Amino acid sequence: MNWNLIGELIRLRYKLMWAKARLRSGKIALFAIGYLLFIMVIALLAAGGFGAGVVAIQAGKAEKVCQIVLSALFVNAVFASLLLGFGMSAAFSEAELRRYPVYARERFVARHFLGIVDPFWLFMLALELGLVLGLYGYGSYSLWDGVAAVLLLLACSYLLTRLLGEWIDRLMATGSGYTVVVVGIMCLSLAPATAMAVFNKHRDLIPKAMAVLRFSPPFGAATAMTHNGLEMFYGFAMLASWTLAFAVLLAILERRPVGQPQVAREPGSLWDSRFDRVAALFGPAMAPMVGHWLRFYLRNRRFRILYGFSLPLAAFLTNNTGRMGRGEDNLFLGALGSMGVVAFIGTSRIAVNQYGYVGGAFRRFFLLPTDPGASLRAGSYAAVFLSALWIPPAAILWAIFAPRPLDPRMIFMPVMNAVTAMFLFHGLGLWTSLYAPRRGNYDKSLGNDMSLIGNIALIGMVLGCMFLPRVLDATAPWTVDPENWWLTLAPAATAIVFYIASLRGATARFPARRERLLAVVEGRA
Amino acid sequence: MTFETDAIRITNLEKRYGATVAVADLSLVVPKGSMFGFLGPNGSGKSTTIGCLTGLLDPTAGSIEILGEKFTAESAPLKRRMGVMPETLGLFDPLYAHEFLGFVARMFGLDEADTRRRVTDLLAALDLTDTRKTLAEYSTGMRKRVAFAAAVIHSPDVLFLDEPFESIDPAGVAAMKQWLRRFTEQGRTVFITSHVLETVERLCDRVAIITKPGKLVWQGDITVLANDGKLEYEGRGFNSLEALFLHLTGERYSDLNWL
Repeated sequence: MNWNLIGELIRLRYKLMWAKARLRSGKIALFAIGYLLFIMVIALLAAGGFGAGVVAIQAGKAEKVCQIVLSALFVNAVFASLLLGFGMSAAFSEAELRRYPVYARERFVARHFLGIVDPFWLFMLALELGLVLGLYGYGSYSLWDGVAAVLLLLACSYLLTRLLGEWIDRLMATGSGYTVVVVGIMCLSLAPATAMAVFNKHRDLIPKAMAVLRFSPPFGAATAMTHNGLEMFYGFAMLASWTLAFAVLLAILERRPVGQPQVAREPGSLWDSRFDRVAALFGPAMAPMVGHWLRFYLRNRRFRILYGFSLPLAAFLTNNTGRMGRGEDNLFLGALGSMGVVAFIGTSRIAVNQYGYVGGAFRRFFLLPTDPGASLRAGSYAAVFLSALWIPPAAILWAIFAPRPLDPRMIFMPVMNAVTAMFLFHGLGLWTSLYAPRRGNYDKSLGNDMSLIGNIALIGMVLGCMFLPRVLDATAPWTVDPENWWLTLAPAATAIVFYIASLRGATARFPARRERLLAVVEGRA
Repeated sequence: MTFETDAIRITNLEKRYGATVAVADLSLVVPKGSMFGFLGPNGSGKSTTIGCLTGLLDPTAGSIEILGEKFTAESAPLKRRMGVMPETLGLFDPLYAHEFLGFVARMFGLDEADTRRRVTDLLAALDLTDTRKTLAEYSTGMRKRVAFAAAVIHSPDVLFLDEPFESIDPAGVAAMKQWLRRFTEQGRTVFITSHVLETVERLCDRVAIITKPGKLVWQGDITVLANDGKLEYEGRGFNSLEALFLHLTGERYSDLNWL
């Protein structure tokens, strides 16, 4: 293993980061990293970390608490990475590293070492180290055994995430891959609630499940942290075996090239396109541009995963947030928020970074004999159109599962919230596309290519949708009372006005931003 | 307002990026119906100039007139008469070639029947008949052909081609050259950049050479070379475009002993 060359690559990565930090956007990112470090310190001390360690000692159930906390962190890390794209960005691609005289295993180590030092994984490590410090400080557990165990567990969760990500990428390049991935995500989304229901009904299954889980990486880490002698060795051996197995599988999978994305050819002749038929609804002037953007969205793997995932996610969120509080009315509160999420989550990645995935083709928009802002508007129309398509099915699903007797106002209000969220988010998306663009990879199925501001817009909107109805229910319950259903008209109307104003404002500013956008999307800034 | 005899008239064009000057005080006239070669070493500002000429970049100072009208990024009617093959090609990778060309044709105002006819003709002429591949799956040469097709599909009056022949096979280059010659014979104008000086010498009738930072150092008729004539610069004669280019842009040779 040529550690010198690997070291050079790692140094290069940080030189590039530092070079970026000298730019204005880099300074913002630097501030964000500082903020993240602050959050990590809090995480270290928070309930999932240090606090859990203290609870574990006080309750006298150190191993059990460790098993629960580490399992939750492990599962959350894997799912947050796969679904939200955190910690999935690669500093160097395999193709880039092949230019240098390093062997395959050295490239593998360099890429994944740089991958695991992503802030997201460091955040997870902070939580896990918090637990170790809690056990060490309040109990008599070994600090170094704990540190070694959580480092191995982190490597294990990182490698599993990468493995799943690579597998999904390859799956999405096959004809039936999209269906398999969406069905898989739906099943996994529903799995926790289903498992809880099954265990509540058949409590005798719990010990059997625990016996199986003893072979999982988080349980292995818990054993290594809380035992001595042979049992500790067993815990480390299990962790090491999982880590090695994931690493080997990942290395094997990475050697298999990802196929080209399967773009469904439409039936009929070359010229009979459903995209063009739909785009014709937007009038002859906009139709070609909208048709282009519809193709751009619908042929994007990431869009297709998120779009397909929208409805199951809404069901999951309605159920989960609806059961946070009291009574059946809370399902309605859940629906108020989740319907909003349905109305933008599918298109979100591209909508907040409309030109980020276009690359050099961005130039084309300025060579066309039309006002340059037309491409921005057309892209947004396509996104709003696609998002709006999900609102009726979501409303029908909610109508089917809503508490009985069915009150039409309890359908109307979530639908209006969806309209509000859709126009608000896509209005914001126009501004983030102009002022916070980031170069992304169109062909990747997973990963987070959004800028910091894009992330804030998306996460802020999701959190807003999830928690605003609850906050209103606690502070001004009359605002979420079906009796006052008409109140939802005002935010919807405001959001539409905001969207129209954003279309005009962003279009007017587009020409002035084009050189900056060009530099970003072509990778020169 | 210029006479219609000028296809392009650039006056005191300047483009700055902060303190960096990419193009400095460039003035140039391209006669209508000419095949005009625009040459310069790497980083001399050729692509920046084409960016300004095609509405991609806003000049810091100076003016541009195309076909006798003032040109800005907002000049949609003028853009309708221009065809551009940018350096980065500007292709939408997820599309099929016929979809991309159909999109460009419709954006340039061609009706449905004309769009279909021209796309079909261009795909056949440029040997792009594999309709199962998206543009992302095409080879570099095929992508270049698609970009060329997109530049000419609406029969423009002025054609800007940035390095059009790189990566295209000899047969493709020969066909393109023939089309371009016919294009100029019809009184239309081609503005071309290339580093292949032999091609420029054989294809173009007029040439401008710029050096860093976007400063014009020579322009003139090069058809004299075909009749064993010489290109004149400061009283000195050059019997090839390459000789003049190297003289103007600085002949440098460093002996790398270790190579």
